[in-house]
Amino acid sequence: MAKITIYSTPSCMYCKMAKEFFTKNNIAYSEHDIAVDDAARDEMLAKSGQMGVPVIDIDGKIVVGFDRGAIEAALGMK
Amino acid sequence: MRDLIIIGGGPGGVSAGIYAARKKIKTLLITDGFGGQSMISAEIGNWIGDQSISGYDLAKKMEEHLRAQEEIEIVDDDGVCVVQKIDGGFSVVTKNGKIFETKYLLITSGSHRRKLDIPGEHEFDGKGVVYCSTCDAPIFKNKTVAVIGGGNSALESVIDLLPYASKIYLLVRSEIIRGDSVTQDKVRQHPNVEVVLNATPQEVIGDKFVTGLRYKDMKGGEIKDLALEGVFVEIGLIPNSDFIKDIVARDDYGAIVVDSKTQETSCAGIWAAGDVTDVLYKQNNISAGDAIKAVLNISDCLKKQ
Ligand SMILES: Cc1cc2nc3c(=O)[nH]c(=O)nc-3n(C[C@H](O)[C@H](O)[C@H](O)COP(=O)(O)OP(=O)(O)OC[C@H]3O[C@@H](n4cnc5c(N)ncnc54)[C@H](O)[C@@H]3O)c2cc1C
Repeated sequence: MAKITIYSTPSCMYCKMAKEFFTKNNIAYSEHDIAVDDAARDEMLAKSGQMGVPVIDIDGKIVVGFDRGAIEAALGMK
Repeated sequence: MRDLIIIGGGPGGVSAGIYAARKKIKTLLITDGFGGQSMISAEIGNWIGDQSISGYDLAKKMEEHLRAQEEIEIVDDDGVCVVQKIDGGFSVVTKNGKIFETKYLLITSGSHRRKLDIPGEHEFDGKGVVYCSTCDAPIFKNKTVAVIGGGNSALESVIDLLPYASKIYLLVRSEIIRGDSVTQDKVRQHPNVEVVLNATPQEVIGDKFVTGLRYKDMKGGEIKDLALEGVFVEIGLIPNSDFIKDIVARDDYGAIVVDSKTQETSCAGIWAAGDVTDVLYKQNNISAGDAIKAVLNISDCLKKQ
């Protein structure tokens, strides 16, 4: 199973869509709310070079935004 | 040939689709996604019938309502790039290279955000340049940011940032702020907010991420630099009307000119509604109502034939 970490904020709808996508496909993930977790925010910036959520780490492959095609590719679903 | 193609899946397009299906008009709806612009909004408080609903939930409810109709064909992963006139109607070409023909056309393709169009904006998109403050404001906790714009969306963006950013510059190009006066007062009175009037952004500066913003003080004429880490762009909207620009009349801003009684455009057989038109007020309920008005008029035209 791929190890998935999603960096999100509570008010971000694309984060919600990404999480729903994982739930629907029975894929486990862990989540960091960067609105409260500063360490996770810095970790996200370092990993992705991006200041926008969601950032999704799939076994070290970084997907920025809810890019369904890229997520499916990183998971080998297609 | 179909009777109607609806372009767009925001509140306008979905409302039109539901009415067209219930009128048993042979309809195809083409969109590159459901929900429309307010989908990213955490809370919508003026959608009639729901005291409070997230943009995401509203998008889902609208899509479900549309899909519950039997008599409608839906393409939801494609966009329209060209419309041409043909004998007895129009042909619609999509980005995926599909061609659909129809007698009538209803355009509800809405609008997208205007960009600053200055050096560094594109380069630092997602690296400090932000177009969705609701999404990304928390990333700027304890940081200095600028919001660009003088309307309601700029003010809302400042409000989104207040709990997080340590300092917020509101850069307004003109001499006054146009947005809602109650929100204005709230923003102006906050100690973390500094309003800069007569300021025209020149360049977004940075290395890996944004480190500053250069602007021109239009009164004194000097170029000034602000040290900051976020630039939130809220300078208005551009109608998604390029694919139809050769066929229908548009105003100076690219909005499709419509007859407010019927939603007809300058081209017989094409109607338009919502944010893509020159309607004065841009709101979810208005897009829905105007699109419904268009379908009722289309239905009348079909009956007359
Ligand atoms: C952050 C935010 C918050 C808002 N909050 C509110 C609020 O609380 N209340 C309110 O009433 N209004 C609100 N608005 C305004 C409201 O969202 C708009 O007035 C409304 O979405 C306009 O609806 P529409 O159907 O005309 O266009 P849009 O919502 O822009 O929908 C256009 C649709 O067309 C599709 N499309 C675009 N181009 C093409 C193409 N070439 N081919 C196929 N499909 C295409 C798009 O994918 C989209 O589905 C808000 C807007 C924003 C940005």
